[in-house]
Amino acid sequence: MKQSKKQNLLFLLLFPLMLLAACTSSTVANQDITERLSQSSAPIVNWGVKADTNLFGLYNIEKGEIEGFDIDIAKALTEEITGDAENAEFIEVTSKTRIPLIKNGNIDAIIATMTISEERMKQVNFSDVYFAAGQSLLVPNDSTIQSVEDLDTDTTVLAVKGSTSAQNIREHAPETNVLELENYSEAFTALQSGQGDAVTTDNAILLGIIADNPGYRLAGAPFTDEPYGIAINHGQENFLDAVNEALDTIIENGTYAEIFSKWFPEEEVPDLD
Amino acid sequence: MDFTGAYSWVNIRFLLDGLLVTIEVAAISIILSFIIGAILGLLRYMKIPVLSLIVGAIIDIIRNLPLLLIIFFTYFALPQVGVRLSIFWSAVAAMTIFESAMLSEIIRGGLTSIPSGQMEAGRSTGLTYVQTIWYIIIPQALRAMVPPIVSQFVALVKDTSLATIITLPELTHNARIVYGQNTTYVIPMFIAMGFFYWVVCYTLSKLSKRLEQSAG
Repeated sequence: MKQSKKQNLLFLLLFPLMLLAACTSSTVANQDITERLSQSSAPIVNWGVKADTNLFGLYNIEKGEIEGFDIDIAKALTEEITGDAENAEFIEVTSKTRIPLIKNGNIDAIIATMTISEERMKQVNFSDVYFAAGQSLLVPNDSTIQSVEDLDTDTTVLAVKGSTSAQNIREHAPETNVLELENYSEAFTALQSGQGDAVTTDNAILLGIIADNPGYRLAGAPFTDEPYGIAINHGQENFLDAVNEALDTIIENGTYAEIFSKWFPEEEVPDLD
Repeated sequence: MDFTGAYSWVNIRFLLDGLLVTIEVAAISIILSFIIGAILGLLRYMKIPVLSLIVGAIIDIIRNLPLLLIIFFTYFALPQVGVRLSIFWSAVAAMTIFESAMLSEIIRGGLTSIPSGQMEAGRSTGLTYVQTIWYIIIPQALRAMVPPIVSQFVALVKDTSLATIITLPELTHNARIVYGQNTTYVIPMFIAMGFFYWVVCYTLSKLSKRLEQSAG
């Protein structure tokens, strides 16, 4: 009995080690995406998109599919690259799942309101800017907060976990309290129920929230410059070039402006060049 | 709170789509984990040298891990070793791995609850070891196993909601999307979710009552 207990313990200790050994010995087989697309008869591009972000990627419950600016851009890019917009497949991601999924090859590219940053560039490559965003504050209409300078020790700002906005608000308003929530909709729910004084994230997303919820406004001009890019895994430079080329094409031929005006009718189409 | 808006046909249909995925994942996992769990439980019970020891060690490791960790493992870690599963099959794989380990212990527990005299009696009538297990031990053990196995299945149905974290479009995921888009739907959605889970799990446990009666 004593003997078998010892052996049991030995296995318990060895099992994770064996797993680890199995993991490190085999390499991740990441096929070249461009090669795969040119060889396949149905060249499917898998895009990681948000499903909870109004105007960019939002689940349309009636149609049972995700819709938004990101989706339309991805479709236009897929059409340029493969010849048919129908080849775009959309996989729902969150701020926390998108990087592991692209590393694993579950998705080919992330077009999910993702800010280009030095830190992220260590893990993925970014395309050229496809949307010029900046961080702002969302407050109720009757709020006394007029800009980021009004935030102090008495105010609580709601941000989303794993996003750059939480770091930025700590830099621009070091005194204020920051509460991090799971996603934008939960952050806004928290604001409505009085758990915070402002929601902070990219202006574009906040505008999307305001579009659906009258009684809220932006407090002051954006206080950061955080352009969105399309993330593609390291080692997929051919696909990155193809995406950038397709992006140039749709900006030049007017498709980009058309999509932009469809989703942001009040806004001026920016000059991305 | 807006109950009439929340329970529009579009929203309910969306929840039912989610419920279907919940049931699909649960049903496939229940079938697979019952088969695997029965084999593992028997292997451990039969005390085959080395094999039973390895099986026991693996079961003990899995049983003591959080299910959420196994879900993350099948979705994020397995692709690193070349196994790339879709969201649906990642969830099924995770549930099956975890529930097999849980069920194998219930099954082994049921088998060991039969007094050793039964085995001796069976052997002395000329039955082989395997025959005794199959004809004498299992039929008696089954009666004791049914209730804990069914409650494990009920737990499995409820645990599918954990897969919402890898964006499996099951009931909880879909309900969250609905109330994420309209904050007046939060409480109605929780009530609807609770109702759907209750219906499925209550039906399952009622079925087990009947199964128990017919077994006993």
